[in-house]
Amino acid sequence: MNWDVIAENLPRYLEGAKLTLILTFASLGISFFLAIPLAFLRNSENAVLRYAVMAYTLVFRGTPLLVQLFLIYFGLAQFGMVRESVLWPWLSSPMVCVIAAFVLNTTAYSTEIFAGGLRHVPVGEIEAARAYGMSSLVQARRILIPAMLTRSLPLYGNEMIMMLHATSLASTVTLLEVTGVARNITLNYYIQFEPYVTAAAIYLTLTFVLVSAFQLVQKRWAGYLESRIG
Amino acid sequence: MRLPAISLFAALISAGTMLSPANAEQLKIATDATFPPFESVDASGKVVGYDIELMEAICEAAKLDCDIFNAAWDGMIPGLIDGKYDALISQLTVTDKRRQVIAFSDVYSHPTFRFVAKKGAALDVTPEGLAGKIIAVQTGTPMDAYVTAHFPQATIKRYDSGSAPYLELTAGRADLHISYQAQIIHSFLKSDAGSDFELVGPQLTGKDAKEFGEGVAIAINKKNTALVEEINKGLAAVRESGKLDALNAKYFGE
Repeated sequence: MNWDVIAENLPRYLEGAKLTLILTFASLGISFFLAIPLAFLRNSENAVLRYAVMAYTLVFRGTPLLVQLFLIYFGLAQFGMVRESVLWPWLSSPMVCVIAAFVLNTTAYSTEIFAGGLRHVPVGEIEAARAYGMSSLVQARRILIPAMLTRSLPLYGNEMIMMLHATSLASTVTLLEVTGVARNITLNYYIQFEPYVTAAAIYLTLTFVLVSAFQLVQKRWAGYLESRIG
Repeated sequence: MRLPAISLFAALISAGTMLSPANAEQLKIATDATFPPFESVDASGKVVGYDIELMEAICEAAKLDCDIFNAAWDGMIPGLIDGKYDALISQLTVTDKRRQVIAFSDVYSHPTFRFVAKKGAALDVTPEGLAGKIIAVQTGTPMDAYVTAHFPQATIKRYDSGSAPYLELTAGRADLHISYQAQIIHSFLKSDAGSDFELVGPQLTGKDAKEFGEGVAIAINKKNTALVEEINKGLAAVRESGKLDALNAKYFGE
């Protein structure tokens, strides 16, 4: 066993964990605000809007995230049109490509999760809101969005964990997050077990913290649903 | 009602043979087939190239039963240490660092290393001249060690395969790439994608920097000294028979 190598490289793992967290929260943060309106459109009475959102979630849930990432990072760069466009300074950065791919992917899943939650908001709550004379915007803000989110929480928690773990793909396009650091160590010190088991321990710790925080949130915001479920 | 049970049994057996360990006598030789013309995968999925032909000739001369297959670069040397593979032929340069963990056969070639960049970029290939430039390399290679040690002011981007740096060069995400000169010419400059690029800077060899190592050899598990000898005998026979010269002429003769 070569734990000296790991001890020596712990600062690099810390840097990696920082990047893993940045990627996770940037992707989840942006996608959260995109997925809420998309969930409404997904349930829209307008068939064009409904099917457009459905097509988007179908494409991004129907293809592997790694393929999406390669298409955005390597694929787009192949076209001179893209390389000469005003977007290139952004698209040439691995960070931007990775976050774009992650956001597009996790937004597709989150949209379906929230849309499902929205469909399960009891009719009575909506009728009560109408009876109070709330406009649709006020209805959405005060009743529908909170009710939709609280009902989606358990599934959304899973999606957050999946996103945390999916950030390991960023190492394939040169970003040294936790998995990237581990892979780099295997290539320079010729050991495999120690670097990857260290990476696994870091992911496990991060997941544990995420799950604990999430349970607190769930108790605070969705506690009132417990009596109904139980 | 016997029939379904029997066919299920037959299916299990055939699945079992697929999972059974490879012939114990057969040598498992791994190569990272992202490095043409030395090693690459052809359209039919077979590994081909200079190293593959050389290894086949050595195995034939030494009467060894060899299975040469493609494996990912990042697991190759650890896989050899752990005994997953018996040997590696993948343009591996002999370095002191590697010699601490694996054994090498006799050296079979002395590669030339070179930078490649966009035509007309007018780069000054010195540590000061490349300050702030982006150099793409394959991780854990002698080229990686060389630029890391000698070009501290440049940004170094590292990739797992030998082919990804070329994608980055053509995309304009990297200014330079350093690799084996023969690989740059054959796998990049001769292709359409590489027509806008050229070799830059001096030709570099093991004499210029210790990071480039002592030449290219076949890597073998340290404990398997018998195999080192057998492969060296095979290599000597291939050299004497003129096959190595023929191979060099076939791949690198102009």
